[in-house]
Amino acid sequence: MSLVRPFDKLPTLNSAVILLVGTDERRQQQLAEAILKEKKNFKINIHVATSLPLPAERDHVRPRIDLIAFMINMQSKHSLRNVEASLSHIDANFFLGKVCFLITGVGRMNHCSVEMNAVRKLGNLYCSPVLFCELDSEGIRVATAQRLLRMLQICAGHVPGVSALFFSSLMKSSIDE
Amino acid sequence: MQQRENAKNPKQTLQVRHSSFSAWQIGERTTGPKTLDLKSAQKHEKEKQQSASDQAGNSTQDHLEQALTYFERVKDYIPLKKNEVLQKHLATVENIALQRGLSPEGLDVLLNVALSGHLADTVNSRILKCLIPASVIAESSVVSAVSWLCVGKCSGSTQLLFLRWLIAMFDFIDHKEKLHALYGFFFCSLQDEKLCPYVCHLLYLLTRRESVKPFRVRRLVDLQAKMGMQPHLQALLSLYKLFCPELVSITLPAKMKTYFKNSESLWKAAINTIRRRNQGTSPTSQQLILGTCHPQSRKRKWNTQLILPACSTNTNNPTRSKEINHADILSHSESFPVEQLHTFSQLLQNLHRLEFPSQMGSVLRNSLLLHYINCVKDESIYLRLYYWMGQTLQEECTWYKLDNQQYEEEFKDFLDIVYKTECFLQEGFSSCEEFLYKSLPLWDGFCCRPQILRLVSWIPLSSFSEMKPHLCEPLAQLFFTSSLYFKCSVLESLKELLQNWLNWHVMQLDMESDPKISPLNTTLSGLVNSVAELIHFVGWISTVALRLENNATFLLYFILDFYETVCDVYLKYNLPLLLMPPPGVFYPALLSMDSVSLNQLCYIMYRYRTNLVAAKENELIKKTILQFKFSSQTYQEYNQYIMAMVGCLWTSSAFQKDIHPQGIRLDPEVLKKTRVQEVRNSFNIVHHPALTGYAILFLQQAWPKDKTLNFNLIKGRRWNWYLEYLYMQGLQGLKLFIESSINRVSQVSQTKSGNVQV
Repeated sequence: MSLVRPFDKLPTLNSAVILLVGTDERRQQQLAEAILKEKKNFKINIHVATSLPLPAERDHVRPRIDLIAFMINMQSKHSLRNVEASLSHIDANFFLGKVCFLITGVGRMNHCSVEMNAVRKLGNLYCSPVLFCELDSEGIRVATAQRLLRMLQICAGHVPGVSALFFSSLMKSSIDE
Repeated sequence: MQQRENAKNPKQTLQVRHSSFSAWQIGERTTGPKTLDLKSAQKHEKEKQQSASDQAGNSTQDHLEQALTYFERVKDYIPLKKNEVLQKHLATVENIALQRGLSPEGLDVLLNVALSGHLADTVNSRILKCLIPASVIAESSVVSAVSWLCVGKCSGSTQLLFLRWLIAMFDFIDHKEKLHALYGFFFCSLQDEKLCPYVCHLLYLLTRRESVKPFRVRRLVDLQAKMGMQPHLQALLSLYKLFCPELVSITLPAKMKTYFKNSESLWKAAINTIRRRNQGTSPTSQQLILGTCHPQSRKRKWNTQLILPACSTNTNNPTRSKEINHADILSHSESFPVEQLHTFSQLLQNLHRLEFPSQMGSVLRNSLLLHYINCVKDESIYLRLYYWMGQTLQEECTWYKLDNQQYEEEFKDFLDIVYKTECFLQEGFSSCEEFLYKSLPLWDGFCCRPQILRLVSWIPLSSFSEMKPHLCEPLAQLFFTSSLYFKCSVLESLKELLQNWLNWHVMQLDMESDPKISPLNTTLSGLVNSVAELIHFVGWISTVALRLENNATFLLYFILDFYETVCDVYLKYNLPLLLMPPPGVFYPALLSMDSVSLNQLCYIMYRYRTNLVAAKENELIKKTILQFKFSSQTYQEYNQYIMAMVGCLWTSSAFQKDIHPQGIRLDPEVLKKTRVQEVRNSFNIVHHPALTGYAILFLQQAWPKDKTLNFNLIKGRRWNWYLEYLYMQGLQGLKLFIESSINRVSQVSQTKSGNVQV
């Protein structure tokens, strides 16, 4: 029903769609703006949601989603729980390289309410890469936007010879095993 | 300026003061400090208004002096409650101390009163918390403060706070000789369970080789037996063991993460503020220093500045030199003060009587002392340096603090210094390694990028199994998702890492021939394995990167640069290891559009050949069973590559001769279907996309009138001219390759040639 699926729609030519899911809307907004500012040779669509499932009624107008980035703030247990709850609303095929976790707020160790292990476990459980970034700092935000764009390009099939699945196998770390 | 503001708008100033006040109070356990503050503030306001109207020129300095006189006269117990005078003076002192720091005299007065037991505990702790030196702390004040501890008038919590203060301010104390004389006293305080961790830390800072005595070792071991394996006790014991290994027989864990709790946190912010204030405008200030000039104090200057003072500062003060002599006679008759060390010859003359400064970090900027470190080979020096460095790296690391430009600049500066020191000593620090392992998995790939990547190149050679999860995997994750330039810089630093490891190996070989020095503790096979793993890792990420970046020439340059080191490992570094690049690197380079990459590849293949031939000859000459033989696989791979190359560039048979499984061999049927004319020679030195440009220029020069660009004219004698032309254009790698690997049957023929199989 309202499950988000990676392959149920046809891709649009020369465009890629990323979905940002997270409770912190301000940071989401900032990150989306940073992504849009980057130079790229394809059209980019950014969808934002605080949680999944996405509303079913607009499903027919929504384009195919190439990459889902879940944003978790280490300072808020709620953000982690929200992501965990949202994960059940996406199709398993997404985990073949079309999901990543963005972790913010690792810096202030003393204020972390989410354990590092919980985050790593999550990444391992869902076979998806975990990226650390402090979105409050301008420079890091730009760097993160660039990294996301690269992944998005691959997930949307714009890099010849590299598929999302292949890429996710590269990003997998053996520590978690 | 401040005073004028006061006069104009006393209320506003007051508010500012008040807020800074309560911020300071948060950490305190006292009950109801806010109401107290309010009262004192109100009182203060009245006074301020009065004084402002009376005497505009009077400054806060007067208030401070009044307060200090007040505290100096305290002779009996004074309660805090309802004592507005005390509260007022306390507020003045706190305010000024946190803003500008206190003079040595002021510190002396306040220390005395805080430890005398005349005031309530909350007042004592407030006083201690604001004892921020503007410049230095006189040794005598510390000594007299310690004497108060002996009287036992102050409470346990005040004693504890004082010890923490002493640890935090250790580097601000101008001399330490008398303090050293109190070593025994501090040692006795170890038995107090609450004070013990802090006393240990203090002793750790104070300990010299002479301080280590058998009875002290026994005492410590007893304590450890009683209290269990405490990190602070272990720290002190391991220092003792380093100084006198014969006295400490128990085994201690080799690596410890943190020995001591952080004592500085209470004062750190204030120290930083004052430091910035003193440093004035320069934003990229030095790390960890109070940047003021203190001509009257030699130690202080040394400790804070990270550089040696200029000669002039300590030549013209006769009383001070007397003082030095006196101090030297007291405890350390032999030591040569490091700050008088200016020239290399001085270093040579005083090599036997040098003592390191109490703050090890200061050696980082002093090349003479680094020379000294290099030649004394004293483990304890490294332990002190690593301990300090590890802690600093951890505390100052920018991606743990947020959005603080200034901190980032300072941290970058610091990382630069550490890197330079590593280059100077030609040695990686284990504290840096630990820091990288700990923080790389959390790195965003942006903060201090050049600095961090340069530190990677100095990771000490260790087993790769440890390095893989901590370094390679986080680095690979960043590598794959980041920009082309990031990829290139990672490759560059991995190349330097490889070179550093190989250099280290060569050094070890040299030392082994010297019988006095014990042989290295890593086996040769361990070393070979680690190096091989590193090369494989780089080969893997390079293959993927070329794919991701669509065979970018810029990237290929860095990859081939790495292999320029790899191909010469046997001859240049005497390590029995030769690994061919993976096909994912070899073929993109062979078929690249750029003559630079092709030329580089030719040079690399030539070096591989030289190395392999040398290895084969050595095997034949020695006839002994060598411990390490290149596997036949290396030769096989080399031969496959060389056949592909010669087929491509020379014999125009690329699609037939290539026998590599991942090569470019194609069935004639398939080739026919492409309908490309003269498929066979499309990659020879005339038609190769990287070289056609040269071919066109050559044709234009040789037949200026012919506009048809008939490449087929280049054959026979002209083929040789063309070759000479290519060599003249700077394609030296190609020249070396062709001259070594291609057996030219006759000078005229260009088809009859073959490769030499080694």
